[in-house]
Amino acid sequence: MEHKVISRENLGKWLDTITREYDLIAPTLDDDVVLFKEVKSAARVLLDYNNTVLPAKDHFFPQTETVFRFKASAGQLAIEPEPPLARPRVLFGVRPCDLKSITLLDHVFDGDFQDGQYLDKRARTVLVGLGCNSPQPTCFCGSFGIEPGSSPAADLFFTEMEGGYLVNIQSEKGKEALQKGWSFFADPDAGQVKEASERAANAKKALKLSVDPKGVKEELDHFFESPYWDEISPKCLTCGICTYICPTCHCFDINDTSGQAGERFRCWDSCMFTDFTRMAGGHNPRPTKKERVRQRFLHKLRYFPDRYKEYACVGCGRCLQKCPVHMDITQIISDVKGGKLQNAAK
Amino acid sequence: MQQSSALKKSPLIPEVATIEKITQETPDVKTFRVVFDDPSVMDGFTYRSGQCAMVSLPGVGEAMISITASPTRKGFLEFSVKKAGMLTGALHEAEEGQKIGVRGPYGNSFPIESMYGKDLVFIGGGIGLAPLRSLINNVLDNRDKFGAVEIIYGARSPQDLVFKEEILENWSKVKGVKVHVTVDKGDDDWKGPVGFVPAFAEQVNPSPAGSIAITCGPPIMIKFVLQTLAKLKFTPEQIITTLEMKMKCGVGKCGRCNIGEKYVCVDGPVFTLAQLGNMPNEF
Ligand code: SF4
Ligand code: SF4
Ligand code: FES
Repeated sequence: MEHKVISRENLGKWLDTITREYDLIAPTLDDDVVLFKEVKSAARVLLDYNNTVLPAKDHFFPQTETVFRFKASAGQLAIEPEPPLARPRVLFGVRPCDLKSITLLDHVFDGDFQDGQYLDKRARTVLVGLGCNSPQPTCFCGSFGIEPGSSPAADLFFTEMEGGYLVNIQSEKGKEALQKGWSFFADPDAGQVKEASERAANAKKALKLSVDPKGVKEELDHFFESPYWDEISPKCLTCGICTYICPTCHCFDINDTSGQAGERFRCWDSCMFTDFTRMAGGHNPRPTKKERVRQRFLHKLRYFPDRYKEYACVGCGRCLQKCPVHMDITQIISDVKGGKLQNAAK
Repeated sequence: MQQSSALKKSPLIPEVATIEKITQETPDVKTFRVVFDDPSVMDGFTYRSGQCAMVSLPGVGEAMISITASPTRKGFLEFSVKKAGMLTGALHEAEEGQKIGVRGPYGNSFPIESMYGKDLVFIGGGIGLAPLRSLINNVLDNRDKFGAVEIIYGARSPQDLVFKEEILENWSKVKGVKVHVTVDKGDDDWKGPVGFVPAFAEQVNPSPAGSIAITCGPPIMIKFVLQTLAKLKFTPEQIITTLEMKMKCGVGKCGRCNIGEKYVCVDGPVFTLAQLGNMPNEF
């Protein structure tokens, strides 16, 4: 792999250079909340942060997105698809868990019935990863085979070091973006490459939380019915925050603005909401918390792997941090492994 | 409609089509004959009996509706729509000539090849005859590939029977086809049988030997029809039905129509009773 190094100071210069040709999206403070937002200058890019409150998925699968505009008049109907991105983008500072989650979303939006809007954004975005130096207590990416210090899903991967960063160039698309400010980068010496790989190894060792998801899908195949679901679901408030902040949750709703001219848009939806499955006639196949809590965990740990051969959790820990009643997916996984569903069923 | 060549179209964008003809079937069911405005879209829209399409009125919304036309009859689509929610209500207000959006076809279909040489028993209730009609006309247009055909159909009242003319004027006159129609409650003019579909089907007493039964209708009717068929010794492999779930995308992405691992919009709506037996009871 090709490596480069860049100083902290030059990083800002490179990012500023980039904005001439790319839209730059990076972690920034928005009302004291760390979020991925478009920034016009490198000065607004936050470099020391644990992770963003919302994952990067918003920039491929936006919270609300116009699908097309329409105009209807007597005997006429015009449909105008939403145009593609005006400029390519650089998405800077994505953590390895969130990088992995984008490849999981690819399974859904690529493949059968390819989603043009998602794929356009994906194809025209340079993904710049940033390794974690000090994982948070809620991070368990390692449990899903994700390394906090590297990621194959990025076009460029940055590892922080003394005074600057080591950069792994992982795709042509990434290299092209680097070349916009080639002079800001230098060739690393062997010591720097070694320092970066040590940092990555230390980050991995620093992960405190871990579970072993191996065999969880197969176990859950047998326990759609288990009193366990009755036991864990009552405390859930069905607020939906767990799905809102989850980098792998991809469920959406589609709606129209009313009137003769307007737009059809899609927006994030949540399996935790009653209306999610309620039909026009009133029948609801998932009427209570029990069915909805079960759906959320089974979607991530059984249905998604059944379809796409991978678990739909990357161990980012956001749901652990934000759930007001401490519903904990690592606990669920341990319970499944510990035979709790089986015992509950007896 | 300028699009860069790099941008693949969103699968959520419908094609514009015109409502060419509206038939009032019952007080709350209308059949819409629809033709795409672009002839190449019409030609390219190949579907199988049992598949559905998303029908939309921009400004109101979309709904997944089964295609009641038969793929053997080309150049148009037909949808029979019961007034139930917002979209279907608005569709009922539509006039001939109005433009709508249609995308699809979606879902699996009736396994027609596996029915070759078999006797077929269709059991429908109310608007549930709509998906069956596509298959029935498909079978009748390929009459020599199938054995005897029994069509058992019922509705709440004589006014609620859909496709009346077609049932009486066309289907019942085809050789080897027997049509049995019942209503839950008759009226002064009704001379035919009176009674619920499941019990009526038991009286008709179709033989399971070399047969396949296909049933569509309200969930409660299906539940009892399945019991009737079990009594008549049809095995779960010989029974085919369709399921309904709330749908938004129709293309396996919005995440709401699943029953266990199966996404009804792409893996359904057609299932054998044997398949349903392996799915969680969450529909
Ligand atoms: S965040 Fe917690 S309380 Fe809210 S819906 Fe999710 S599991 Fe339930
Ligand atoms: S389920 Fe929780 S820990 Fe797993 S990816 Fe989603 S938010 Fe992160
Ligand atoms: S309707 Fe969206 S996944 Fe089936």
